[in-house]
Amino acid sequence: MKYAFFPGCVSRGGCPELYPAAKLICERLNIELQEMPGASCTGAGVLQEKNEFLGDALNARTFAMAEALGIQIMTICSTCQGVMSQANRRMKKNPEYLSKINVELAEEGLEYKGTADPKHLLWIIIEDYGLDKLETLITKPLAGIRLAPFYGCYLVRPTEALDFADNPERLTSLERLIETLGATVVDFSGKTRCCGFPILTINEKNSMAMVGKHTAEAKDLGADAMITPCPLCHLNLDAFQPRASAQAQRSIDLPIIHMPQAIGLAMGISPKDMGLQRHIVSTKPLITKLGVPAG
Amino acid sequence: MLEHDVLVIGAGLAGMRAAIAARAEGASVAIISKVHPVRSHSNAAQGGINAALTDRGDDWEDHAYDTVKGSDFLGDQDAIEVMCASAGQALIDMEHFGVTFNRDDEGKLGTRAFGGQRRARTFFVGDFTGQALLHVMFEQLIKSGVRRYEEWFVTALIEEDGRVCGVTALEIRTGQIYAIRAKTVIFCTGGLGRLFEPSTNALIVTGDGMALAYNAGAQLMDMEMVQYHPTTLAGSGVLISEAARGEGAYLLDKDGNRFMEKYAPNMMELASRDVVSRAEQTEINAGNGVNDCVYLDCRHLGEALIMEKLSQIREIGIDLAGTDMITDPIPIRPGMHYMMGGIKTNVDGLTNLPGVYAAGECACVSVHGGNRLGANSLLDTIVFGQRSGVHAAQACRGEEYIEFNVDETVRQEQRRIQEVIDRPQNGDKVGSVRLGMGGSMNRNLAVYRNDAGMRETIHDLQGLKEKYTKVPVDNKNKVFNTDLVFALELGFMLDCAETIAVSALERKDSRGAQSRTDYPNRDDENWMKHIVASKGEEGPEISFSPVSVTKWTPEERKY
Amino acid sequence: MDVTFKIKRYDPEVENPESYWQDYTVTLDDSSTILDGLIKIREEVDGTLSLRCSCRSSICGSCAMRINGHAGLACKTQARLATDENNVIILEPAGVMPVVKDLVVDFDIFWSKIMAVDPYLKPEGPEPEAEYIASNEAMLHLSEVTACIMCGSCVSDCTVMEVDPTFLGPAALAKAYRFTADPRDGDAKGLSRDRLEALNEASGMWDCTRCGECVQACPKGVAPMDRIMALREQAINSGFDNTLGARHAEAFADSVEHSGQLDELRLVPNTVGMTNLPVLLNMAPEALRAFTHGKLPPIIHKKIENADRVKKLFRRVEDPDRK
Repeated sequence: MKYAFFPGCVSRGGCPELYPAAKLICERLNIELQEMPGASCTGAGVLQEKNEFLGDALNARTFAMAEALGIQIMTICSTCQGVMSQANRRMKKNPEYLSKINVELAEEGLEYKGTADPKHLLWIIIEDYGLDKLETLITKPLAGIRLAPFYGCYLVRPTEALDFADNPERLTSLERLIETLGATVVDFSGKTRCCGFPILTINEKNSMAMVGKHTAEAKDLGADAMITPCPLCHLNLDAFQPRASAQAQRSIDLPIIHMPQAIGLAMGISPKDMGLQRHIVSTKPLITKLGVPAG
Repeated sequence: MLEHDVLVIGAGLAGMRAAIAARAEGASVAIISKVHPVRSHSNAAQGGINAALTDRGDDWEDHAYDTVKGSDFLGDQDAIEVMCASAGQALIDMEHFGVTFNRDDEGKLGTRAFGGQRRARTFFVGDFTGQALLHVMFEQLIKSGVRRYEEWFVTALIEEDGRVCGVTALEIRTGQIYAIRAKTVIFCTGGLGRLFEPSTNALIVTGDGMALAYNAGAQLMDMEMVQYHPTTLAGSGVLISEAARGEGAYLLDKDGNRFMEKYAPNMMELASRDVVSRAEQTEINAGNGVNDCVYLDCRHLGEALIMEKLSQIREIGIDLAGTDMITDPIPIRPGMHYMMGGIKTNVDGLTNLPGVYAAGECACVSVHGGNRLGANSLLDTIVFGQRSGVHAAQACRGEEYIEFNVDETVRQEQRRIQEVIDRPQNGDKVGSVRLGMGGSMNRNLAVYRNDAGMRETIHDLQGLKEKYTKVPVDNKNKVFNTDLVFALELGFMLDCAETIAVSALERKDSRGAQSRTDYPNRDDENWMKHIVASKGEEGPEISFSPVSVTKWTPEERKY
Repeated sequence: MDVTFKIKRYDPEVENPESYWQDYTVTLDDSSTILDGLIKIREEVDGTLSLRCSCRSSICGSCAMRINGHAGLACKTQARLATDENNVIILEPAGVMPVVKDLVVDFDIFWSKIMAVDPYLKPEGPEPEAEYIASNEAMLHLSEVTACIMCGSCVSDCTVMEVDPTFLGPAALAKAYRFTADPRDGDAKGLSRDRLEALNEASGMWDCTRCGECVQACPKGVAPMDRIMALREQAINSGFDNTLGARHAEAFADSVEHSGQLDELRLVPNTVGMTNLPVLLNMAPEALRAFTHGKLPPIIHKKIENADRVKKLFRRVEDPDRK
């Protein structure tokens, strides 16, 4: 299995623990990754507010590069995935629009032929790799650990752009992964809601209210940690949890872990190699409960 | 004290237009509706609104003739002339209010063909014209500042010295009864589809205004003229717009033949609705249908056209019948849809009761006579809604409120309502009484009628009315007691049903929507007149009213 | 088929009212909608169940409710597609709006937001004799937004309104867009400056968190979030570029233009202003923690390979002569 790896900006910036964790997991799963150093940011939906066409053109470049390599794109960020899927849908639905986009790409000698199908690592594991196969690599099942899944908006909406009709298992992908890793799912109403990251600088109060609401709900239901496939969600839920906690006037202290980190831990990789010490909300209680040395 | 110069009952297109017009005349106006205005059934009109625009070489007299012919010459020509002559301005007013009408290549208002009209003059918004107009009218209502009583159900009219001077109403949210005083009242309460089962109509269309007015002494006219729309879905009865046929869809029998050739060789699928419904029913009765349905075929129209102009009915086909009209024909059949008859009014909306007006489907001016052309109802509501509003407001000038004992009135009404709530369980349910009525009406007062059938329904209705006096209500609470509302509505429905059956039995010819197998021909000599039903001691009392003939002498009606 | 409806009920008339669950099992046809089931319950089993419904064909907007946790119209949803493996469907009243009784919610907050955007056409010039001339393309585009039936599904599931009732919300903002995008509204060029100005205020267009719930929930394809994004584009293009949201979008775009990637370190200062000390100091705790945990993005921001190609793409597409 080989993919054109698109790590996105935050996995090497504000959440630098994610990038090496993801690469290490893929290595263990025998998933070959080839990066595209000329690929740009997806725009994260923010750029699209200013100019949707420009955002689509940037993503079309990335798709064209992957096409030239003859492989499909793998993302490790819900936001990258969602933005790419939406851009792709607009271009595939309307050939006239795609040709306008290609006029821009032609200046660089690129052309997007409409065959890209970018997929999040989570979906790749469920659909292409197989949970059964993953299970054979689990040497340290997360027994007794209660994990609350937090998908990130862009990985679950809108379902049309994300091909949920053809791939209904995507709706419960994170929960099934959690179970395969040996942990217990903590079901809570916030699991597909918003972390508030997009409005962090615009309306801090609301952003923190969202962080506080969802982490507190999971914590009160007994979660040992929250697991998310989106580093932007991670930034808000982890780095800004102390602020959210202060605003909500209550303690929360819920560790937030990246999806590849959870997989790594279950495969017996040390917490240190997974970068768990970098988190703002201490992951020590989780590590202690896991009963493994921090590494 | 709740009091207003003009009280409009019903907040659909006619009601809101009337309220806005009355307000513009300087009257104090309130509008009362048992649902939020945007939930009104005007929403469900799909195809379009007719108007003859002179700047494109159309002629309103042409539109009038088509309407007169469509009415099978029972329509009052003076009223039809008023409506058609006002249509152009009414249309432009709606566009100026902001309706997002379809446009032609020059950016001017675009048209589609529609039933019974020799020229395309139906202006539209996709296939959801009613929803588009209703929402824009609500925007204008907000702008006008008219007081709104939303989710208030009118339970009775208040009369003092034989004159209507207000209403009692139930505030559904709290269960409280209030009295509202008014100098004039305008009924804009819509049709009565729920008398029939099935029907295209929403659950709220229960003939409230017609019954309230009738019980206060108003005349109901042409009640036998019930329109069965040719294309309704089997089961739910939901409407599939005439717009499909307007855009070129075919009606096919089980072998794929366009059977309209036999019945209306010129206009084919776009003959007037009664003609098409009769054609379908005849084919179905002869065994040429499938499961009591024939087919509406839109496949040849192509995906692009369907998505641009018929998207709503495509969704309805998918959601409710599991069929995508892009790839498959839809099974449809005639279904009860519209009431041509209603509260008798003059061209200004005034009824025979002083201070009481009516407009829209609940009224009978009559502009639709024995059969309504598609896209004339939206026009009717706006033109006569406006006229009623203006005239009611003007009639208030210099008038005083009529005094009555508010507290006593409210107390009496509370007692009456409480009696309904307190009735003991007896095995009957409001739902089953309604179904009994709906089934009987759909059997004997549908496309084809006969003496024995109609008498059977009159008999059935007597029995149901008996049951109604004792039918219990499950919900004894105050807050949002829909059970109570349904029980009160059922009373209104039974009153209306009686007038329909008696009027239909009285008319011994076939004209427009009334088709009697025992009197199969149109008899202009004896029956070119309106049948009027007034409340008598023992039930509806029949009288007659002449048809206004101004320009067009009745002729044989061929499509 | 037999379907069990698990309904969250509420009776305000009891002492200390609280929501409670009640199950009803009814037999339905294969093509029955959830609404068919509810009407059956109401007519044959329990007349005390309160809900709003009318048209049965997704046009009146009365029957919006949460179906298995997500807002939608009961009349548009086929029962057999909504049941779980035990043939159960969970129904709750719409979110955000307070419950009146059972599945009936109080729409006051919904309507107050709609009223707040002046929801009627406001042309600034004189009216023409006949119709305004407008392209069918423009009208078709607007009809996608006027398709809104005011059902409240978007408001029910809005993640911002859930925590902040002052937010204008998806329905009102989509309605506002319907006017700013109407060539007849506003000045002769169709620019509705006053509206855009008001919508740029707090709790307006920039408070949407782009979560997509409203797009997912809307039964008529209105896609309120997409309309909000279009409002933002309109606002920026009309010169309303000094809001935090607009500055954020500009800062983000600049970053990608110059390096092909997001420079997270500089994003916040560029958004709030390099000299906006109070706000910058406010973020100091997070910045400090990030630093001590090794999460601070590198000071020297790396460019992607051939970043100049991205820059050229930006210049071409954003060329004002081209617009």
